[in-house]
Amino acid sequence: MTSKRGDLKKIIMDTKTLPTLPTVIQKLNSLSDNDKSSVQEMAKIVTSDQVISARILRLANSPSYGFYRVSTISNAMILLGVNVVKSLALSSSIFAIMEKDIVGLWEHSLGVGAAANLIARKLGLPECEEIATAGLLHDIGKVIISIKCSEAEKEILKLVRERRIYTMEAEMEIIDTDHAEVGGWLAKCWFLPDKLGEPIAFHHDVAASRNHRIKTAVVHIADVLICASGFSNSGESFVPPIQKIAWDTLKLNEQILAELVDEIEDKLVEVKNFSLEMMAD
Amino acid sequence: MQKIPLMLAKAGMILARDVFRGNSPIGMPLCGKGTELTDSLIVRFENMDVQTVHVEGHPVWEEGECSVDDLLRQLDSRFSKTLQEPLNVALYNIYKAYLTRCMGGDSDKQAR
Ligand SMILES: [Fe+2]
Ligand SMILES: [Fe+2]
Repeated sequence: MTSKRGDLKKIIMDTKTLPTLPTVIQKLNSLSDNDKSSVQEMAKIVTSDQVISARILRLANSPSYGFYRVSTISNAMILLGVNVVKSLALSSSIFAIMEKDIVGLWEHSLGVGAAANLIARKLGLPECEEIATAGLLHDIGKVIISIKCSEAEKEILKLVRERRIYTMEAEMEIIDTDHAEVGGWLAKCWFLPDKLGEPIAFHHDVAASRNHRIKTAVVHIADVLICASGFSNSGESFVPPIQKIAWDTLKLNEQILAELVDEIEDKLVEVKNFSLEMMAD
Repeated sequence: MQKIPLMLAKAGMILARDVFRGNSPIGMPLCGKGTELTDSLIVRFENMDVQTVHVEGHPVWEEGECSVDDLLRQLDSRFSKTLQEPLNVALYNIYKAYLTRCMGGDSDKQAR
């Protein structure tokens, strides 16, 4: 491990240097080892922080999930699962730090979350909510890089523009790692389960996903589709290649792909409205 | 096909999708796709809490909206690195057909 990569990993895995994690998360983390803690108990902890509760409910009602009106935290925990609610608490706190200068990435993430949900449903996969959440979080590494290494991030963006290369390639050159790996580290230090961590860490290298390849493949395809649609500016100008292993894992064909494009484009109208509303206040 | 707020719907537009009460696809549709909109139909939709409708072609142009040529050029640019990959070519063709269709291009059957 070269020093740049090692340094970055150290910074990221050291939770103290992360954007202040709400105490709620720490309490939840300590609870999750204790199987006896009930949904009600967890809901009580989350509800004690009103800002976080509001953010969670907002995301729970986003187009990434298919439920109408999730109005309470315990409802969200039952409908979406404890892991999803925990991830939403974390990601909304992280995204809140970034605020408006990453609108493009935020919209891209919402789009991939919604697309991942549609793909998972269409293919009849289990745990659609987890898959949607992995989609929502897949580029969280980019956010962390921009918080933790804003100088390097500028260089990365410059390289991407000047040499017309993928973000991954530029990241490799400048920080000797990439946002997918960084996202994977982050998932680990937040104690997110592997079914969320693997799709985040391997959405650009599906073959490397060992235990949750189907979920990883869905997030990969969702990312490619959102790039292809040109929805929002995530900083990526080129559609990545569709990985054959993802295509085969999901047993996709052109017919399904065409139907997905129609459904996703339809959904993106909602996603756009949702993000505009969120930015408005 | 274009999804528009009911406010912008006009008599003569053709429904591209079934319309449901309150926009939720449960129960019987109020009106089937292929129907030509009339003023009285639009009023009826208003009363039934319909907020958006899908219509054929691309009858409503917003300010700053790109032309179909612009959109296709941007699509070409996005795919410029991956058009030697068969799967990406398939996706490119699907998007090209989609854009042409929803911008009211030739593949769209129009009653005009
Ligand atoms: Fe990515
Ligand atoms: Fe992405």
